[in-house]
Amino acid sequence: MHLHEMPDAARGALINQELPEFEPTPCAPGPALAERRIAIITTAGLHRSNDAPFTPGVGEYRIIPSDIDMDDLVMSHVSTNFDRTGFIQDLNLVFPIERLAELEAAGDIGSVAKYHYAFMGATPPTAMAAVAADLAANLKEDGVDGLILAGV
Amino acid sequence: MSGLAHYFEGAGIATTLISLIRDHTMRMKSPRGLAVPFELGRPFGAPNEPDFQRRVLKSALDLLERMDGPVLEDFPDTPPGPPADMEGWSCPVNLAPPPAELSEGAQLAADLKAEIGLLSPWYAQSVAASGGRKLTGQLDLAPDAIAEFLAASLGDPLPDSPVADLPIHRALKLSSDELKFFYIQAALARPGTVTDVEMGNWFYGETLAGALYFKLAAKFEASEEPPLKALGERQLIPAHQRFRMA
Repeated sequence: MHLHEMPDAARGALINQELPEFEPTPCAPGPALAERRIAIITTAGLHRSNDAPFTPGVGEYRIIPSDIDMDDLVMSHVSTNFDRTGFIQDLNLVFPIERLAELEAAGDIGSVAKYHYAFMGATPPTAMAAVAADLAANLKEDGVDGLILAGV
Repeated sequence: MSGLAHYFEGAGIATTLISLIRDHTMRMKSPRGLAVPFELGRPFGAPNEPDFQRRVLKSALDLLERMDGPVLEDFPDTPPGPPADMEGWSCPVNLAPPPAELSEGAQLAADLKAEIGLLSPWYAQSVAASGGRKLTGQLDLAPDAIAEFLAASLGDPLPDSPVADLPIHRALKLSSDELKFFYIQAALARPGTVTDVEMGNWFYGETLAGALYFKLAAKFEASEEPPLKALGERQLIPAHQRFRMA
């Protein structure tokens, strides 16, 4: 559903919801895009079928290695309002792993990271702060210097 | 997502995000964002449109080289629609319209199981066609067992939770999700593309299961137990289908 198709009250509540305040964060430097190693961060609540489903409200994440069978991914997003039809029709609509590989093959990016990460949307950002710091260390170890954050 | 952008950027890793709610990204001063005019839940536009998806992705990634954040650019294009000669989406099974007054108890469960039986071969077909990817599987309970549990939940007192150690409100939420996902996956067996609103119109407007969910939502909205009240108010019926509750 497009934002403009939502009932007025629901749209207003969504847009005007209280959000945490951030000051601008200085942009991290890096090489040209064609030399960057890119990882995907999704908030679609994706995980492998054998992983534990997400716990609502907890800033946890699941690891999605680049080399797994992507058809093994399931979606355990908690919201009743969340669109799941797109995910089943085409994983790349929410998690563009094949598109990223194509950009690598075309030389538009340097390489695709070994690991990608999934969070559950609708989680308070502050609940994600500690795990994001932990995750940043792992990403650097993999040589990642660019993240595409695919919100839903 | 904007919060994560700040945290990663602060840790020294450049970020760019796809923004479906432009106002949020702007208010949260995300370092780099691409605002897209797509449906919620569809950050790369439309299913099975690889060229378009790649263009969205590349546009977002191009922002990584910008150092003048917060940057918020707009992606100008809407995704391509289905070909003009393609018929609109429809469920592969013609289900009987749900009756104005639902049956009760065991008869309701039997009616639901009959509906599930009609959809079962299409569910199997749909799972096979999507390479085994499923929406279902978050609760180890078969659709027929869920039908019995949900039908019984219209009565008083509520039945016991069908899963040990799972509180009744969680059992109701997870089992109602699981059954709905079974229906959705079955309905996706037919080739073509469908939006979540079209799918919602089918499930909540044309199936017996959907009619049952409205009955359950009305019952639990009036509950004095907060977890059950929340279930009735927010968790059984999505915002775009609540107009049917009038």
